[in-house]
Amino acid sequence: MDMAQYNILDFGFKNFTKDGKTAGFQVLVKDSYYRGIYVPLIEGFEVTVDGEKFARDQIQCKFRDNLYSQDDLQNHPTERWQFNEPCTLIITKPGGLKPGFHDVGVVVSERISYMPTIPSRRTFKAKLALVM
Amino acid sequence: MEMTRKTFMQTLAGAAVTASLPKASRAAATRKTKMKLSASVYGYGSEIREGSMTFDSVVADIADMGAEGVELLGESNVPDYPNPSSEWVAHWFSLLDKHNLKPSGYDTFVDTMFYHNRNLTSGEAAELLEIDFKLAHRLGFRNLRQQWPPYKADDPADEINAPYVMSKMATETIMKALPLAEKYDVRMGIELHSPTHLKSKFIDSILDTIQKTGTKHLGFTPDFSSFVRRPPRNRIAALLKQGARQKIMDYIVSAYQNKVGPEKTVAEVKKMGGNDMELEYAGIAGIYHFSNNDPKDLAPLVPYCYHVHAKFYEITDDLQEYSIPYEEVLRVLDEGGYDQYLSSEYEGSREEYTTSAAIRAHHAMMRAILGMV
Repeated sequence: MDMAQYNILDFGFKNFTKDGKTAGFQVLVKDSYYRGIYVPLIEGFEVTVDGEKFARDQIQCKFRDNLYSQDDLQNHPTERWQFNEPCTLIITKPGGLKPGFHDVGVVVSERISYMPTIPSRRTFKAKLALVM
Repeated sequence: MEMTRKTFMQTLAGAAVTASLPKASRAAATRKTKMKLSASVYGYGSEIREGSMTFDSVVADIADMGAEGVELLGESNVPDYPNPSSEWVAHWFSLLDKHNLKPSGYDTFVDTMFYHNRNLTSGEAAELLEIDFKLAHRLGFRNLRQQWPPYKADDPADEINAPYVMSKMATETIMKALPLAEKYDVRMGIELHSPTHLKSKFIDSILDTIQKTGTKHLGFTPDFSSFVRRPPRNRIAALLKQGARQKIMDYIVSAYQNKVGPEKTVAEVKKMGGNDMELEYAGIAGIYHFSNNDPKDLAPLVPYCYHVHAKFYEITDDLQEYSIPYEEVLRVLDEGGYDQYLSSEYEGSREEYTTSAAIRAHHAMMRAILGMV
């Protein structure tokens, strides 16, 4: 139930274009877990903006400069989501988001082998503002 | 909370009884301790994530409170883990030098559920451990707080104590890691975290391995979460505010103290008409996250302890740990000849004061108990 404001970043919240058209948006998220992890441990990210939930295949994730589909994370056993570093979530949404405030929710599910409940689900929420 | 208060008084009474012990024991309890103080960067995780502190300022803070050692987690504190730049490694040693600190303990994990569709083999798990052995060695650490590989229990009935269970896979992992630990000269101190039971086949099996192999690279890292005599009160207060009822919470605490166990406690709370919050607190994700071992049961393991996690949740204004009988646990360690680090690991609230203040109070308490100046 970590609602801390430093998990979803203001920095980097913006639309992106593809072939000259606004094709979606990106949002950066830092984990609240106390250590960095190998990316195969990530079961997935769920993203909601103003109540709109995006499908698993609409969300890609980038660790440093490496971009993966969520289903592909299993295949990169040396890639890491380093402690205190953001993962960039890139969400396909033709037209992108409107300028102004948005309620953004991110849930990350991770298999932490020693925990009584697998996966651990961490929920982050923030009100962010998009310029363009 | 009458029950718990009574237990607490017994603890104080127990301390007073020392005065009437035979001379030899009293001398043992009051001789100058060889134990050293350390703190784990882990406790400062929130400060680092929020950005109010950096790894470097945490190390400086640990030195400033007079500690001799610093503990870290490779996966949390080493940039570009597991391959930090040689510049960073040089920086780490310069920090130690500047602050006159020694590397006390390095924390390792075993992600047995690395892949979504299968567990790691013991060989793969040992390979991942080798990465940490190598890094710990590179950073000057000799003592590892090593998590017991969290594989399923051989006996399903034992699963209630997970992940501290007899497991063929976990034992295989340790046996495969042992020559690697020797190679990098690091000591695998298996963490005895709650819900560990110190008197158990699990502990016996590790002791048996240590004794049969005669290894100096396998031992234990006791974590004081396994000596929680009464649970931290912050959490209970928060749950009471959110709709848990005093009567049911009192029952859960007394059941825990009477070692009723999670299954029966949950069943009883169900009968009492417990709500979801109370039911959760009654089980392994709640109060049985802690364990209530008799500190005396640690004594046979002390010769094999290379590092200690001095876990704490709340230091009261009169410098007592609210939940853990510190005097008793420290006495067992001291009398057993433990001469390594007591490394503070804070898992309490930050509502009233910072992590740094909490650890400073913790060190003040341990210094008072141990007669350290």
